[in-house]
Amino acid sequence: MNRAAEYGITFFVWISGIALLCTVGALLCFLLYKGAPSLNISLIFGETRPLDALLLRKEVFDGLFPAVVGTLLLVITSIVWAVPVGVAAGIYLAEYANTGHKAYLNLLLDILAGIPSIVVGLFGFSFSIFLHRHLSDRIYPCFLISSVALGCLVLPYIIRTTEQSLSSSPFFIKTTGLVLGITKLQNIVHILIPYNVSGIISGVILAIGRCAEDTAVIMLTGVVAMAGVPSSLLSQYEALPFYIFYISSEFSSQEELMTGYGASIILLTLCVFLFTLSYILRRRVATRFAIYT
Amino acid sequence: MKKIKVKIDRLNFYYQEKWVLRNISTELEERAITTIVGPSGIGKTTFLMVINRLHESIPNCRVEGKVEIKLGDKYTDIRNLSLTTLRRKAGMVFQNPNPLPMSIFKNVAFPLRLSGVKDKKYIKKKVEKVLRDAFLWDETKDRLGDSALELSGGQQQRLCIARAMTMAPDVLLLDEPTSSLDMEAALKIEELMLKLKERCTLIVVSHYADLITRISDHVLTLEDGRF
Repeated sequence: MNRAAEYGITFFVWISGIALLCTVGALLCFLLYKGAPSLNISLIFGETRPLDALLLRKEVFDGLFPAVVGTLLLVITSIVWAVPVGVAAGIYLAEYANTGHKAYLNLLLDILAGIPSIVVGLFGFSFSIFLHRHLSDRIYPCFLISSVALGCLVLPYIIRTTEQSLSSSPFFIKTTGLVLGITKLQNIVHILIPYNVSGIISGVILAIGRCAEDTAVIMLTGVVAMAGVPSSLLSQYEALPFYIFYISSEFSSQEELMTGYGASIILLTLCVFLFTLSYILRRRVATRFAIYT
Repeated sequence: MKKIKVKIDRLNFYYQEKWVLRNISTELEERAITTIVGPSGIGKTTFLMVINRLHESIPNCRVEGKVEIKLGDKYTDIRNLSLTTLRRKAGMVFQNPNPLPMSIFKNVAFPLRLSGVKDKKYIKKKVEKVLRDAFLWDETKDRLGDSALELSGGQQQRLCIARAMTMAPDVLLLDEPTSSLDMEAALKIEELMLKLKERCTLIVVSHYADLITRISDHVLTLEDGRF
């Protein structure tokens, strides 16, 4: 390669790196600049005393508290559905499926990963109508339907990362237990999963981010602008991303629009909090299995 | 007349399109050390893996021929044994020590516990016995609760051998057990192997120049997929 091309490519690589930094920096600065003025305790709790709100003694009508709780619960519940199914499917793909099944399932997985979230939302919506007609007329689009639909949306992330980390473990780890005469399932439970838990958590981290930010799915499956803190799995609820969407499309005053920026900062903080939690968890597990890494 | 532990009859092994082991027929003596030597990549480890059917964890390979192992007084085709039974009868230790990230005691007790043994006293006694047999008891008796990862390479390898011995296997398959160790640690492993052969059939894979051939009863050279 001639010198000019080498310099050119190096320059481009550097610029791309800097561009990444600038984009993220600019976005954060913009958000903080716009949202910081509206950030205060009453944005979250309105006129209600924070302690009363946190202990659910009084409802918050004019603050984001129900949306924060809604998003947090939604993320947790969706992950609770998605992790067992996703990890189990990943284990099946990595350890049990033969080449034929694998190719077939991988294709299905790619399709699932490629489905736009609005379609997943539509599916959730139709599903709730189906349940309403055939199971109980108490069922409407609600928290439960949203969390299950979101669980489906993030399933491919968890399946993929589980499968990939399991199948990339070195041969002598994969067979540590097998050569000692323990069963295949025992080997998976006692050796392979602990060894790969850090990789599996990476998939969960991805899934958390997706659950927290997705608007299309929840819009069709039960989120509303005013509902208070969700009281049961079958109730409607509020969520931060939907609030941001709602405010920015239907604001009546500049001030109201500004609370949308405030909500964005809160959503971002919530994500950072959840990510940090998962990272700490992953590090703790990883140090326990330090020999393998 | 010497007693035969493992009979191999017209064994062929194919990996993808490659014909790795070619029509091997041989008999391996009971309570002896048989060492298989040959250049790397020739299929020595594969040969070991066929004996405990570990090759079944590798996709795209195919085995022809018969391997029989003497259990009690009669020879049993290894295909007729369950994988867990076979692998308890034929333990295996890898080139790189692979203790689990848990205490020394738990490492050795691991196969016992997972095979369903609940009796804590028995487990304790068994752990002590195999650690003594592996010349590891004196070095570890005061620190059984410490992580096995804190042991030296040689100690880790002896721990892995001890762990493989907890299920009292008839056959022990060793894949270059000393190649990752220094001379002193390697000599200790050899001493251990000489002791183990009193009650166990040892099948060892090794490089040409390795010292292990010195303590072996039989040396088989693997060339072009056959001995």
